[in-house]
Amino acid sequence: MNRFFSLVLVLGFALLSAYPFGWMFFSSFKTNKEIYQPKQLLPEEFDGQAYSLLLEGKYLDFEGSLWQSFFIATSQSFLATGVSALAGFALAKYSFRGKSLLLGLAVLIILIPRQALVVPVFEWFNWLGWTGSSFSLILCGIASGLGVVFFTQSFKNLPNELMEVSQIEGLRPFRLFILVFPLFGPGLITYFLLHFALCWQEHLLALLLLDDSHLTLPLALAKLSDSSHRAPESVGMAAATLSFIPILCLFALFFNKMRTALSQLSLN
Amino acid sequence: MHGMPQERIRLLYPLLGPFVLLWILFWLVPLGWGFELSLQDSSHGFSNSVEHQVQYVGFDNFERTLNDPKFQKALINSLKYVVGSVICIVPLGFLLAVALFDIPRFARGVITFMLLIPGLALPGAMSKLFYLFFHGREGALNQYLVIPLGLDPINWMMDPDFIMPSLVMQAVWRWTGVVSLFFLCGLEAIPRWQFELAKLEGFKNGAKFRMILITGVRKLAIFVSVFLIVDGVAAFSGAYTLLGGSGGMLDAGLLLVTYVYQVAFPGGSGRFDLPGAAAMSLLVAPLVAGLLFLMLKSRSLFLQS
Repeated sequence: MNRFFSLVLVLGFALLSAYPFGWMFFSSFKTNKEIYQPKQLLPEEFDGQAYSLLLEGKYLDFEGSLWQSFFIATSQSFLATGVSALAGFALAKYSFRGKSLLLGLAVLIILIPRQALVVPVFEWFNWLGWTGSSFSLILCGIASGLGVVFFTQSFKNLPNELMEVSQIEGLRPFRLFILVFPLFGPGLITYFLLHFALCWQEHLLALLLLDDSHLTLPLALAKLSDSSHRAPESVGMAAATLSFIPILCLFALFFNKMRTALSQLSLN
Repeated sequence: MHGMPQERIRLLYPLLGPFVLLWILFWLVPLGWGFELSLQDSSHGFSNSVEHQVQYVGFDNFERTLNDPKFQKALINSLKYVVGSVICIVPLGFLLAVALFDIPRFARGVITFMLLIPGLALPGAMSKLFYLFFHGREGALNQYLVIPLGLDPINWMMDPDFIMPSLVMQAVWRWTGVVSLFFLCGLEAIPRWQFELAKLEGFKNGAKFRMILITGVRKLAIFVSVFLIVDGVAAFSGAYTLLGGSGGMLDAGLLLVTYVYQVAFPGGSGRFDLPGAAAMSLLVAPLVAGLLFLMLKSRSLFLQS
């Protein structure tokens, strides 16, 4: 392909992807009337009132939601990364009876999404009496099929000679894992970020499992946009901007590590 | 296998144990629970009373669900949504990845990151943007695309013909960047010598070159399609925020998970029909499996030709 044409194409798409978010940011300073004119990018005057209304908790406890989401997403991703890496290591580097069955299970979890099982999950948690706490939400997302498949592929890059040496040395699998996992830093960070993004966006399970005192960000956004609050549009835009900044920073910080890890993933 | 130690399973418990335990607790048990629930009589509704007698009605709930016109509508809508988004996103993502692969390295990172941005946003925030920025009479879509083409402005949210395309567009906007990042990483992992060999053979921009690129991302394409299909079937948040929990005009935007939610919980239609919803949930699984089977089948045909 022509290099110039390529550049124009990707720049065009990049602009198309990112421009609305710039518009979203500037809209948080606008009046309703200005927001209903999407052609206008910049507000006539910058008015930070939406942010102060939001953070003071005039409509709902937004700061609480921010922390709640952050807490849930961080702890779930941390646990999910650990659990998936352990299982992925065993699946990639050892052969044992029932291995293909286990890999099949992991794939099956990917294929039947949790959102489709939401009614039984709700009933099960109800029976356990765990609904309403954020721990139930954290726990039910840890076993991730995507994670197991990701780490099974990643750990395949570990040289087999190392495995032979470890066997001669009589190293137990768990000890070996503890020794080698720091080598896979980029992969661990990448999966952590992917899981974090998915967990940050989780709406349905949060809607069912949490009560009103524990709103996560998707719930808070949906609540703000429903008409009973009569919040000005700029407040919704401010909430969207604030919910976006943490994850944007995380990804910007680790973007290069993530690209390295994805290129090394033996999916080709 | 050479170099892969055969290990007694007992020693692998610390590695596999946590995953298997969590899998049983939060996936297998709910699945069984849901199956048991789906066999119950739903006419009593949701009841916590102790003396409430559970009556089993066999597969009645499944039959009722399959004959429910609204369920059929939701099924077809979800199917359209999934197929539409996969067909748009995968080729577009590949095209963008090839273009990104073509430009100088220092520009690649920044532009790829910009493309990734919509994938990071909350679906709810994206719906809000869709509603305010793209849609409406004054929205960007009408102003920049429809009116310059000399057509009447489209009422994207109210016209039943356009709700589904607008949901698909939202998915395309959201996932294309992520998909092209995956593809780009796949392309960057292709060994240099393959390109040099192709150059030596004199196929600089020719068919061979394209063949190398396509082979480079073939497995990734499968992976990405599976992800998109599953995500599409599970789609809830975007449509929920965009349409306020309803199915939109004439239920044109009613997706499977939204309908399950509507049937099971108040605030939807308030029917409290948990057994029916459980049956519906369980019917989703074969649907996903069927779709994936079709996809893999068509792929093997594609590879043979």
